[in-house]
Amino acid sequence: MKAFLGRFRQEAVLLVLLAAFVAVAWRLDPTFLTPKVQGTLVKLVLELAVIALPVTLIVITGGIDLSVGASMSLAAVAFGLAAERGTPWPLAAVCALVAGALAGMLNGWIVSRARIHPLIVTLATMSAYFGLAEGISRARPISGFDPAFQSLVAGPLMFFVLALAAAGAALWLSRTVKGQAVFAIGLNEKAARFSAIDVDKIKFWLYTLAGTAAAVAAVSYAARRNTVKADIGHGMELDVVTAIVLGGTSITGGRGTIGGSLLGILIVHEVRQFVSWHWERDEINLIVIGGLLILALVANSAFGKKTDSA
Amino acid sequence: MKKLPARELGVGLVLFVLVLAVQLANPAFLRPENVRDLLIQCAPFAIMACGMTFVIILGEIDISVGSMAGLLAAALGTWASPSHGGRPLLDCVFGVLFLGLALGLVNGLLVVFARVPSIVATLGMLTVLRGVTELVLHGEWVTDLPPFIRQLGIGVSGGVPNPVLVALLVVAVSITLASLTPWGRRVYAIGSNPEAAKVRGLPVKQVKLAAFALMGLLTGVAVLVSAPQLSVVESGYGTGWELFVVTCVVVGGVSITGGRGSLWGVLLGVALLSIIRTALIFLRLGDQASYWERAIQGVLILTAVLGDRVSARRRAEVGA
Amino acid sequence: MKALVPALLAAALLVVGCGPTSDGTKTASGTGAPTAGKKFKVYLLPKQKGVPYFTSCAEGAEDAAKELGDIELTYDGPTDGKPEAAAEMIEKWVLKGADVIAVSCNDPQVLGPVLKKARDQGVKVITWDADASQDSRELFVNQATPQQIGYGLVDAMAKDLGGAEPTGQVAIVTARLTAANQNEWMVHMKERLKKYPKMQLVDVKPSNEDQKLAFEVSRDLMKAYPDLKGIFGISSVAFPGAAEAVKQAGKSGKVLVTGLATPNDMRSYVKDGTVKSVLLWNTKDLGFLTIEVAEAVAKGALKPNAPYFMSHRGEKKMQGDNVLLGDPIVFTKDNIDQFNF
Repeated sequence: MKAFLGRFRQEAVLLVLLAAFVAVAWRLDPTFLTPKVQGTLVKLVLELAVIALPVTLIVITGGIDLSVGASMSLAAVAFGLAAERGTPWPLAAVCALVAGALAGMLNGWIVSRARIHPLIVTLATMSAYFGLAEGISRARPISGFDPAFQSLVAGPLMFFVLALAAAGAALWLSRTVKGQAVFAIGLNEKAARFSAIDVDKIKFWLYTLAGTAAAVAAVSYAARRNTVKADIGHGMELDVVTAIVLGGTSITGGRGTIGGSLLGILIVHEVRQFVSWHWERDEINLIVIGGLLILALVANSAFGKKTDSA
Repeated sequence: MKKLPARELGVGLVLFVLVLAVQLANPAFLRPENVRDLLIQCAPFAIMACGMTFVIILGEIDISVGSMAGLLAAALGTWASPSHGGRPLLDCVFGVLFLGLALGLVNGLLVVFARVPSIVATLGMLTVLRGVTELVLHGEWVTDLPPFIRQLGIGVSGGVPNPVLVALLVVAVSITLASLTPWGRRVYAIGSNPEAAKVRGLPVKQVKLAAFALMGLLTGVAVLVSAPQLSVVESGYGTGWELFVVTCVVVGGVSITGGRGSLWGVLLGVALLSIIRTALIFLRLGDQASYWERAIQGVLILTAVLGDRVSARRRAEVGA
Repeated sequence: MKALVPALLAAALLVVGCGPTSDGTKTASGTGAPTAGKKFKVYLLPKQKGVPYFTSCAEGAEDAAKELGDIELTYDGPTDGKPEAAAEMIEKWVLKGADVIAVSCNDPQVLGPVLKKARDQGVKVITWDADASQDSRELFVNQATPQQIGYGLVDAMAKDLGGAEPTGQVAIVTARLTAANQNEWMVHMKERLKKYPKMQLVDVKPSNEDQKLAFEVSRDLMKAYPDLKGIFGISSVAFPGAAEAVKQAGKSGKVLVTGLATPNDMRSYVKDGTVKSVLLWNTKDLGFLTIEVAEAVAKGALKPNAPYFMSHRGEKKMQGDNVLLGDPIVFTKDNIDQFNF
């Protein structure tokens, strides 16, 4: 039990938090918990969840990607421009994926080859990618996609993709040598290099993956809202980091789980939607979400200290 | 301060080329009145960047400053405006400074004593403080800042605009603090090797707490000279400043992992980032160019960062 | 840690044990026609919450809800003004059983499909302040169309510049480059500028909803284009920012500033002559009328193409499916003190 709790400490705390939340929500406003409401609302968080998967891996290596929102915008605009020219939607989606992957590759290349801190690299590329998206689309919206595309992608396909990607990422992280290498890089990069782990290659592909995931999110958004614009990824980067950290991934690297991130996403999402549902004052939400993040981490480090010394 | 290290050369060079190019295209660029306006424009960011430099050299970061500036501006507005608080000048000035200091201390306490990583603690504060600002102003903006407050932002003392004067003062004090005091040396020592610093018995916690408090205080100073430049205090004041200030500092060559960097480089970073937008307007490219503005900014930042790294490598190779 | 999990669980159970409170048992069905005596649930969505313009609209709306008595009014919107956040709110309100949703549409592309879905589920949708596509709402409480706004701004500038043929360079300081409403206004502004061939649009700059940025951009524009004669500040912070820049440059009266804003935000500039005229409607009346129309729509008492709508504040003209608020007010030095919003 102790070992189990030690390993899944953050998940346990999150589950309790979630239970407490459900209890409060049920007491205040049980309608919120009905399948109809939850079913509608859960669609709103799929894109964030997809992006959070690779970013979790990046954060475990001790890195960060602040450009995911911008990559999402860039990929969305690529999709829109392609679709506008009459490209069939699967091809347009490929365009988006290529654009996202390229954006991620550039990050990965600079981070691993020039060895510049990812915070700096992605801060710079964030503004470059948003700018590029604004420039090539002239900041205008592009709308009206294939109805078949909308019903397929916005519906079951996205759930399927997310489930598959999450399962894949979790298994890869815990069961493969490469996955263990991710932790090794985060714990001590120099030591990882000495033990013949190809740190640069792993980093390069993780950032590429993040860009690609942002593109998947972009396509999903396009299907769900039937429109894209250069600003759709705005603020995504900080939402993702908030959820991941809440999910128990250490921002300094070396520790974290896919399950934790998904739980983090779910809690932020549920709390945000419920506050807005029940109190109907958007400004309160800012305080609640920020406060939740701080409290969760204060609690975590307070209890963490105890278990560490025990 | 040692001789200007080559680390700052990359930024300096990009800045120089940019200024030269714009000056050639439009001779009005370096006219005294524009230089003066550019300095006023830089002033609040230079002030905040000084505080951020210490925080980042310590190996920490503060991304709450944008929302902190928003809350402090709202506080200044509601205290000063005759239709709200109607407080006298000194009340407002010390109130804002004190509140800034207190908010900085909260960040510091979260990081030092609650042991929450600074990027996360201040990310939480970024969100919370923006919400508090919205609650404080509850949908109304302050539109009647009294003249004595406006004077802080638009007044001139001894021929120098107040914001520039204050910024010069802050920069001078910060540089002295960094290079001539034991505290400054401790900041570098702790940032370059926290474990060794602890072993040597340096007061790591106190130094970090002080750096966050200073960041909050300087955000207050920046708000005092920048918010009164405008007639309206709105709830979105300061949105995005956190990333701007951090970008200035890292473009200026401060290592994000701590231990290295100089305030001179940071000032070059502030100058470069503040000038880009003005420069693009002076190039008179017309409205179509506006759509590419952000992309150009991003590429310039990337160039400055990469150029610095490439030159550092070459130096290392030559030295080897 | 070991003690924490059971403790929290116990606390959670305790809360659950109390069961749902009575006000929480409302069901989500809002589709049936409400019977007499029941209050209509009306949701009022601004483009952005926390902005004085919309706050004063909301005040008018609350007055209407009080006066009518059968309205349960909720005013909420995204504090960051993001259309995606607005869309999520609308989706939630539909689930909560809204009777009427009144939307100031920040982005017709994003909100249009959401509103259509809401209508499919039996919710009445009206737009106010900024319209969505015609098939996504029943009625539009129209204070001004994008065309009227765009033309109005250019005409005001032309009039202020004076002369038979208004001459000079002008620039626009907008919100974000991606702001849908502003982009639509700009299309009409550029169209109208063709009528004044000697007014030359030299630049369009974003201010990213940042007053400091709007201020600096306007100042730079005046220096980069020394012959600049006018600046359009077409967002709630771009207008005061631009006016402040002109004032500080000592060019009040020489460089004209115009735009849309509440009189309170612009009072000092109108008084010192930096701004000659501010164009706006009475925002409280707009909020008031919106709620009245919402009530009428909920009751099924108002359909498109009615000849007129009888408001508590007098008879309002109808034009197809638009309920017209009436002519905008031009605030000048002489009358601005009569208005406080």
